Amino acid sequence: MAEGGLTSHRRDPIKSSVGNVAAHRRRQNAVEVGKERRESLVRAKRLCRVSSSCDDSDVCIENDMIIDEEQSILEAQTSSAVEELKSAVSFQGKGAMQKLVGALREMRRLLSKSEFPPVEAAIKAGAIPLLVQCLSFGSPDEQLLEAAWCLTNIAAGKPEETKALLPALPLLIAHLGEKSSSPVAEQCAWALGNVAGEGEELRSVLLCQGALPPLARMMLPNKGSTVRTAAWALSNLIKGPDHKAATELIRVDGVVDAILRHLRKADEELATEVAWVVVYLSALSNVATSMLVKSDAIQLLVQRLASSNSLQLLIPVLRSLGNVIAGDSHTIVAVLLPGCEITDNVIEVLVKCLKSEHRVLKKEAAWVLSNIAAGSVEHKQLIYSSEAAPILLRLLSTAPFDIRKEVAYVLGNLCVAPTEGDGKPNLISEHLVSLVGRGCLPGFIDLVRSADTEAARLGLQFMELVLRGMPNGEGPKLVEREDGIEAMERFQFHENEDLRNMANGLVDRYFGEDYGLDE
Amino acid sequence: MAMLVDTDTKTELGFPYWKPIRRLFGPESPFFSSGNIERELLAKQVALDLSEEEKHTLQNLVDEGGSREVFCPIVGCGAHLISLEHFEDHYNGRHTASCSVCSRVYPTSLLLSIHVSEAHDSFFKAKVARGYAMYECLVEGCGLKFKNYKGRQQHLVDKHKFPSSFEFFKKAHLSKKARQKQQRKQSIHISEETSSKMDIEGETIDGLVSAVSKLSTSDASPPSSISFGRRNTRGLAFVPRAVQREKKADSVPTGAKQ
Repeated sequence: MAEGGLTSHRRDPIKSSVGNVAAHRRRQNAVEVGKERRESLVRAKRLCRVSSSCDDSDVCIENDMIIDEEQSILEAQTSSAVEELKSAVSFQGKGAMQKLVGALREMRRLLSKSEFPPVEAAIKAGAIPLLVQCLSFGSPDEQLLEAAWCLTNIAAGKPEETKALLPALPLLIAHLGEKSSSPVAEQCAWALGNVAGEGEELRSVLLCQGALPPLARMMLPNKGSTVRTAAWALSNLIKGPDHKAATELIRVDGVVDAILRHLRKADEELATEVAWVVVYLSALSNVATSMLVKSDAIQLLVQRLASSNSLQLLIPVLRSLGNVIAGDSHTIVAVLLPGCEITDNVIEVLVKCLKSEHRVLKKEAAWVLSNIAAGSVEHKQLIYSSEAAPILLRLLSTAPFDIRKEVAYVLGNLCVAPTEGDGKPNLISEHLVSLVGRGCLPGFIDLVRSADTEAARLGLQFMELVLRGMPNGEGPKLVEREDGIEAMERFQFHENEDLRNMANGLVDRYFGEDYGLDE
Repeated sequence: MAMLVDTDTKTELGFPYWKPIRRLFGPESPFFSSGNIERELLAKQVALDLSEEEKHTLQNLVDEGGSREVFCPIVGCGAHLISLEHFEDHYNGRHTASCSVCSRVYPTSLLLSIHVSEAHDSFFKAKVARGYAMYECLVEGCGLKFKNYKGRQQHLVDKHKFPSSFEFFKKAHLSKKARQKQQRKQSIHISEETSSKMDIEGETIDGLVSAVSKLSTSDASPPSSISFGRRNTRGLAFVPRAVQREKKADSVPTGAKQ
């Protein structure tokens, strides 16, 4: 069913009340993407514009900016709607139920109309306590649905607005139960997802009040919008920084099985939300990561990466793979063994991501490769001789900075053997000589020149490898040819003492008084 | 869970060698912010009717990820740069004042002019020899002057908290071509025995003085600022071979060669 925000295609046509001309005019009135809009786009909360079961046929979505006069009209209407609601709540006579649902529906329409619903006005007029009353047990489904919908959109706004939902939380959680109708449970999950998306404090309140188990159970069925909403809400609930929620989730009966099932078979939209759950599980919980690694999760993630072209899905799947490799040494040591098919497949999908046009995929794929390249010598050989190497070399010269930095990690890791103890790490000459021969040095020297401390450090460390490890004393000459000396001398007047000492040390050692005298 | 693990190896040489390690980031780490922003934008984009301009602005949000603002790391500059990409231009525009005599590069015109006086000005050397305080403090606005390099160096450490490893007079590294050119120039001068020789030798002697005087200060400095290769023969770098052979006979103590 069509749902605002969560789907990539609508079922119901958007009815614009005034047509394209008005839309254009509104757009002109708000030329830039304002700060408030940017913030609302980027936050982890989602407005509910169209609900799954609502057959309200004259729902009208006006997406663009509401002009100032319209906003104040909206606020006035909201205040009166709250008044209406108040009288409907206390009304005891005939048709009380209808009256109440009608008042709620009006409230809900006002709160779903625009991108910036009149939340502040609603709260000020006293909407929340009334809505809480409407959530009481035994109320008809329609009433529960409309009340939860109102609360959802109130919670989608600014922090203080979300916090205003505190009195409603226990009831919202209660209506997640298996006795509730599916649309009601889903709408409550949506509201709770917004609350969880606000921050650590509210997450911790929700966890204390027992929100996790019922939401987890809602994720078990095979399909449906409820499953997807529950998964999204869970991803907000477990995102930490505390790892306890993530560990609690993975231990709920049936969850691991459901996650694997959805990764394997679900449609891309559901798989996307489940993948985000896996992202947080693998980033925060050791228990979860090792359970996932021991199952066939990696296989499933690789399959999704291979078969999908949806950026929305690829991001969390790639990141889950990355977290699982970064977080658990067992993965590289026992699962992704060089020579196994699974390992070849992993490299293959990472290459696919490197070739993508999307910045996020390229950067995070390089990060994952850098962690594999931090493994055994065989892992390094595998990457070195794969399609990844020429792509990485090209990215080192041409990609945006944050990608180049990750690529540098991969290439450097390929050239250094795994370290034992505290000694000077050994070089892998074959890789170093070849990569330098294929022109990677200028890219590293470029990093030395950047204002980013981490990048400059990486560059200097790689230069040390070249200076030390190129045969026949070629290192210094190569570095000089690429203006490496000049790059290192910049550090003479650099704030960072560590970098200064590193650069000075290299210059002193390799470009001392004897340098260039015997030419 | 373990965050970024930094296990750089520092041996007695002080250089943190490249060590391959796995890097794990927390879910809210700035490393992931581009991806997180992209997630929310993609999820909400469908409900919104974005213009091309808006899409472009939002894409910039993603690309910037976390904050990409940067401050110039050159001592005393602190200029605020919008992004890393702007740094190179800023550096080339503001920090590459170069000496026309010896091609050394300095990050400010003050430092350049101090260098020119101290390294290439015979008048300067004459006044120093006569005991005038000519070595100017490097910090803009201070203005104090000292009779010798060491005195100024000590002032920088004591008053302005410079690390004792900081070297104002440090040899620059010319390209191979420039080195050969300079060596040729120097041998011509020596054979002609013109007064321009004083330039180079003056430099050399200064360097020697600073190097020798630095021997004592570097003994006193804390270990962290001593890295390997603080060689005190540095001042002899540009001495032409003829002169260098003579100098070597004067047995200047050398640091351990590696």
